[in-house]
Amino acid sequence: MISKEDLEHLALISRINLTENELEKFPKQLDKTIEYIDILEELASDDSINLDLQELRFEELRIDEISLSDDKQLNKNITDDGFLRGPKMK
Amino acid sequence: MTKLDDLLAYEVVEGLTEGQFTAEEYVISILKRIEEVEPKVHSFITLDTEGALSSAKIIDKKIREKEDIGQLAGVTVGIKDNISTQGIRTTCASKILENYVPTYDATVIRNLKENGAILLGKLNLDEFGMGSTTEYSRYRPTHNPWNLDYVPGGSSGGSGAAVAAGECTVALGSDTGGSIRCPSSFCSVVGLKPTYGRVSRSGLISYANSLEQIGPICRSVKDLVMMLNIISGKDAMDNTSMPSSPITVPNKLNKLNVAVIKELITGSDQEVAKSVFSASEKFQEIGFSCEEVSIKNLHYALPSYYTLASAEASSNLARYDNIRYGFDYPIGEYKWDTYFSNVRENFGEEVKRRILIGSYVLSSGYYGKYYLKARRLRSLLRLELLTLFKKYDLLIGPTMPILPFKFGEKIDDPIKMYLVDVNTVIANLAGIPAISLPIGFSNGLPIGLQIMAAPFEEQKLIDASYELEKVIHIQRRPNSI
Repeated sequence: MISKEDLEHLALISRINLTENELEKFPKQLDKTIEYIDILEELASDDSINLDLQELRFEELRIDEISLSDDKQLNKNITDDGFLRGPKMK
Repeated sequence: MTKLDDLLAYEVVEGLTEGQFTAEEYVISILKRIEEVEPKVHSFITLDTEGALSSAKIIDKKIREKEDIGQLAGVTVGIKDNISTQGIRTTCASKILENYVPTYDATVIRNLKENGAILLGKLNLDEFGMGSTTEYSRYRPTHNPWNLDYVPGGSSGGSGAAVAAGECTVALGSDTGGSIRCPSSFCSVVGLKPTYGRVSRSGLISYANSLEQIGPICRSVKDLVMMLNIISGKDAMDNTSMPSSPITVPNKLNKLNVAVIKELITGSDQEVAKSVFSASEKFQEIGFSCEEVSIKNLHYALPSYYTLASAEASSNLARYDNIRYGFDYPIGEYKWDTYFSNVRENFGEEVKRRILIGSYVLSSGYYGKYYLKARRLRSLLRLELLTLFKKYDLLIGPTMPILPFKFGEKIDDPIKMYLVDVNTVIANLAGIPAISLPIGFSNGLPIGLQIMAAPFEEQKLIDASYELEKVIHIQRRPNSI
């Protein structure tokens, strides 16, 4: 069961404020979802199964070369000394 | 002659090349159609009329000067609003990204532009692709062109509805758990989720990146192949993308072994099941063999999907802090943790629910219980399917277990809403290609057949779909609009 306190904790670690209405209705809705996925418990814990669907191919990574982006808007903000100027915080 | 706005993509390219009409005339006919039906359908979030007209003029100029115009010249494309388009607002139908204008094009958009396609604008979706009806869009829901009281499916509901309503020649959608196939089925159009890795995801705004692919939504199989061949291929910007061979249509037809998935039939509405049986009979008439099979691990697919998709969403959506991009929100007494939480209150309810579930299943103590087990199930399901594909070329069943439903029917019960994805998530979990093909109607509401194949066997999917499309003559344009 997800209590209101559990929900507040989940909201805190997810960095999301919840409205009063959501604090009210979410515990029941999340409970139902968790109850639904609880069926996964029936599956055996078998460590022999390979969890990766795609083989990782690190040898095919892009060449690590510095080049100018073709992004015109971004390039506009590059200063003479090679730094990128971001917008000012108000 | 067919009305200009009713032409298929390959007919547009033919007509332009043969000088039957200009690209500008064609685009104007599509814009008129949009003006006529958009107030009822609401497919678009952003329409780029000026951009479309100026692209058309460029193509006409190239034709006059006998330059190469590209394989999709003049074809108007609607883009799901979670695919980045340089200079055109890309909102993900979210308040959080309402002012976000990407500075670059997604790889698929670059591919389309290089081939002469004309971008019309951005299409509606459930916020960040989370939903099956477009009711979770922060703008407004899209309506099903076949019956405006019904949902168009989701999350690429804007794409499905726009193609069905003739508001664009073809569209791009994205599919994380059925988001291309569900609206294709509900709106009676053809939609394909390619094999994971066939199409670059660079520029697709991530929701659950181990599951999702960009794919085409069209009014014919031939159009779908044109689009697929243009957007497929290895891309240096996406390390999960892979090279693939182009698809041909029509192709030399081999007799294929088809299996109907028993569990998908028993879980479906009677009318839907009846249509699927009649499609499998058609396959037999063509000369394909048809048997029934059972998938042992199917029962666990949907809970596994929602565990993995929510976990990935909670991580992917953590980047929305309103600092690097976002909407107008007063900075006030800036404190980083409260500022993030306050800003992120502006996610819609469904997005919040999934982020919270994602945080839950990844929490210490629950990670092994949910997340790891879901990952294991995913591998088991893939192994089981790959074994079946040694015996059968194609697995079929209904795309959606039910007919399109009315607005509001499922919105208050998340589980009811999740259950409509039960047939489609299989392909995302296993990374295999799957198509939804229109096969009939019940009370005026569309029914779609889902066909799945082994990884990178899209040619077989297309061969079977093309043959079936030829023998089932489906009405293409809805009467209600």
